[in-house]
Amino acid sequence: MPKLATLKARWFWYSLLCVLSWGAWAMLSKLGSNEIPADTMQFIFTFGTVPVAVALLFARRFKMEKSGKGIFYAVSNGVLSGIGGLAFFAAFRAGGNTAVITAASSLYPMITVALAVTILRERLTWLQVVGLGFAAVAIVIFSIST
Amino acid sequence: MHLPPWFCYAAVVLVAWGVVGLLQKLSTNYISAESSLIWLVVGFFVLQPFLYPGRVLFGYSSRSLGWALLSGVFNALGAWALFAAMKSGGKASIVAPLTALYPLVVVLVAPVILHESINLLQGAGVVCALIAVVLLST
Repeated sequence: MPKLATLKARWFWYSLLCVLSWGAWAMLSKLGSNEIPADTMQFIFTFGTVPVAVALLFARRFKMEKSGKGIFYAVSNGVLSGIGGLAFFAAFRAGGNTAVITAASSLYPMITVALAVTILRERLTWLQVVGLGFAAVAIVIFSIST
Repeated sequence: MHLPPWFCYAAVVLVAWGVVGLLQKLSTNYISAESSLIWLVVGFFVLQPFLYPGRVLFGYSSRSLGWALLSGVFNALGAWALFAAMKSGGKASIVAPLTALYPLVVVLVAPVILHESINLLQGAGVVCALIAVVLLST
């Protein structure tokens, strides 16, 4: 049972909105991919993200930090994120169970954690080590269960 | 071993978004999360010329086109809500694992909307995956 204070906290409701939004994103991705190929899905998807970006721009009164490095990383992020999105849509279009595909592709933090250890020299917590173990088990199960 | 086609695509997703997670850490060392999201959308547009489908675009049903557009809206809305949660006092160590649970929504909704069901083995895989992402995002 979550504490009553948690239910009153704004961050909790924002988190819930995030979970529901991303759930909707995955469901809609599957629904659209039944008819539309992955590259076109990503093409249209991109226009859908514009209203939120514009709203953020307005909220910030068009003030953006002028950090070349920050901008470079973030734009690269968009390109890579788009390539990942293409594969995400392609996975749905290839058929297979929607919940399984969504769960399998949500495992990307395992790569982030592995890279953070090797590139950023971050140290793993023991919880993350256990998490990697569960991720490995999940992947093996997914690879044999269809 | 014969892997299902979706599995190979999902592997590409893991690698691409896994690197994104790392770049996200790097970009927010220099700019705010919101600015990072705005520039990320700019990055999406870098790909657009390569993805432009031509006139065939208008041949798809408006329903499917609507799903695709809304998928973009909700993806960005989710990212915004995540930042808002962190900014309004949510601890990253709680918000990140909590929001990683979004596949649960699909598990609950897919049987109703898509009339799909998962077998016991797949269900075990989904549970392992959910435990994994929650632990990994701590």
